[in-house]
Amino acid sequence: MNALIEQMVVNGILAGLVYVIMALGFTLVFGIMRVVNFAHGELYMVSGYVMLSLYGQHQMNYYLAVVCAVLFTAMLGAVLEKLLFQRFAGDELGGMIISLALAIILQAGALILFGPDEQSMPRPVSGVWHVHEAVLSLDRGFVAIWAVVALAAFWLFIKRTRLGLAMQAVAQDRVTAGLMGIQSKRVSLIAFSIGSALAALAGALMAPIYTVSPYMGELPLLKAFVVVILGGLGSIPGAMLGGLLIGMTESVFATLFDSTVALIASFVIVLVVIVVRPRGLLGKAVR
Amino acid sequence: MKKIIFAVVVLAVAGVPLAIGGKYALHVGSMIAITATLALSMNLMLRIGQVSMAQGAFMGMGAYSSALLTMKLDWSPMVAMLASAVVVGMLAVALGFVFLRIKGVFFVLLTYAFAQIVNLSIQEASTWTGGNNGLYGIPKLAILGFRMVEPSAFYLCALAVAVLAWAVVHSVFRSRIGAILDSIEQDEGLSRALGTNALRWRVAVFGLSAVLASLAGSLFAHHLNFLSPANFTFLQNVDLLIMNIVGGVSSPTGAVLGALILVPLPELLRDAKQYELLIYGGILLGSLLFLRDGLVGRLGRLSFARRAVQTMREAGHGAA
Repeated sequence: MNALIEQMVVNGILAGLVYVIMALGFTLVFGIMRVVNFAHGELYMVSGYVMLSLYGQHQMNYYLAVVCAVLFTAMLGAVLEKLLFQRFAGDELGGMIISLALAIILQAGALILFGPDEQSMPRPVSGVWHVHEAVLSLDRGFVAIWAVVALAAFWLFIKRTRLGLAMQAVAQDRVTAGLMGIQSKRVSLIAFSIGSALAALAGALMAPIYTVSPYMGELPLLKAFVVVILGGLGSIPGAMLGGLLIGMTESVFATLFDSTVALIASFVIVLVVIVVRPRGLLGKAVR
Repeated sequence: MKKIIFAVVVLAVAGVPLAIGGKYALHVGSMIAITATLALSMNLMLRIGQVSMAQGAFMGMGAYSSALLTMKLDWSPMVAMLASAVVVGMLAVALGFVFLRIKGVFFVLLTYAFAQIVNLSIQEASTWTGGNNGLYGIPKLAILGFRMVEPSAFYLCALAVAVLAWAVVHSVFRSRIGAILDSIEQDEGLSRALGTNALRWRVAVFGLSAVLASLAGSLFAHHLNFLSPANFTFLQNVDLLIMNIVGGVSSPTGAVLGALILVPLPELLRDAKQYELLIYGGILLGSLLFLRDGLVGRLGRLSFARRAVQTMREAGHGAA
């Protein structure tokens, strides 16, 4: 029984850390731009395909490939923000619908370019590691380490740099931030680009573990939704707490029942949270 | 005069599948009619300013409940269809009192979560629904013992439901109720100060939209005789949204027009099925970027269709 509980905790944390990375980008974009980005999962997918091409097919160094995938997606994000999302600043529903259109187009593009098949690539590490009574697969552990490093870097960026503080200011009050001399347009562009980079990091890390396909972004997007609503739409600590909570909940439900029941459970949580406390666990009051 | 033109245009368009004849044309015609009914249910929600992602779920509920009632309990399809619509409508009303307190993107996310729960439950309850393998052998539609084996008979039924749905939505918004709903959408505070119970009206619209979606779902089930959870995903709602945006949200005729334009599109692109999504996305993006006059309040209309819609709408106003 103890072993089972330990295993559930380990699985929960490993899954949760990836959700946190995915959810952080999603919540950052909402916090700054008020856009519910339905294309977030497709940015994850784009990064997966960059990994497939560079690391899987052209044998590029794994670390270099991850960096390239993240940079490429971040640039793509910046272009998309400039071309599309900027026009919808302040229009929550408009921004959301444009992200829907973008998601459809990116998915269709991948379908046309790469076909519907699931493609795989070699894992950078393999084997398992025994921690007390739990078993931890090394590749997942490897991803978890990356995730923790990225989280720490993101946290320092938000809390310690001028740009990070400017982002917090814009998220709190766009107009007042503008009066203080912060160029909110520029901040939006960078925020969307960083959000895309975070989605790309999750995609690049998970691509060798799962498979790459045009639909691979759908499930991570669902998870990001759940996490972010639970934690509070726009709240960064909320995304971290929510990610670990959802990872844990799912691990328990998936062990005791199956993964569909786990997903239903997390959506029931979302439903209840929106109805009872729309601002989530750590979010600000909804204006 | 406009009434007559409108009626003639509608009759002419509705007659096309019958004139071409054959199973295939009538199938496409039936799908247009079913989808138009769904687009109308989405139109109702957009008219009160709430983008709902639950319409596909209501459609799925109507489809599965109608299918299971006829298959397991040997109900007559027509009775099953009506009973399902009533039950789904009541469920929507019950949910509505909670859901419709929420607005904006949170309403979208709420209905999205609800739709996911419905879809996943259908997948999970595989002993009844067949899960992801699908549900086979759903009987054809029958009315008062007369089985709609002929494609043309089914087409006329689906058409009748679509016309009825249009007439209901149209007359709701032409009546005093429509004025009340518009006032709620435009300035809820003021409207409530004048004594309207905004929540109750919204819930009523939600219920009606669920009834329409459920009817369309039942028709869908008895038409294809096969159901799978993949038919009722989130993308179904996005398609309905696209149809409304392309056709024009501000009138039920726009929703029907959207279905009329977008449903046959994949059929025309038979050899290039993978481009279907791309074209849908492109159309949505294009109409958002270049043709919007104030999103969601009054989503834009595609310019080549604008004049046509305008005339048809005026004619439609005259017709009722």
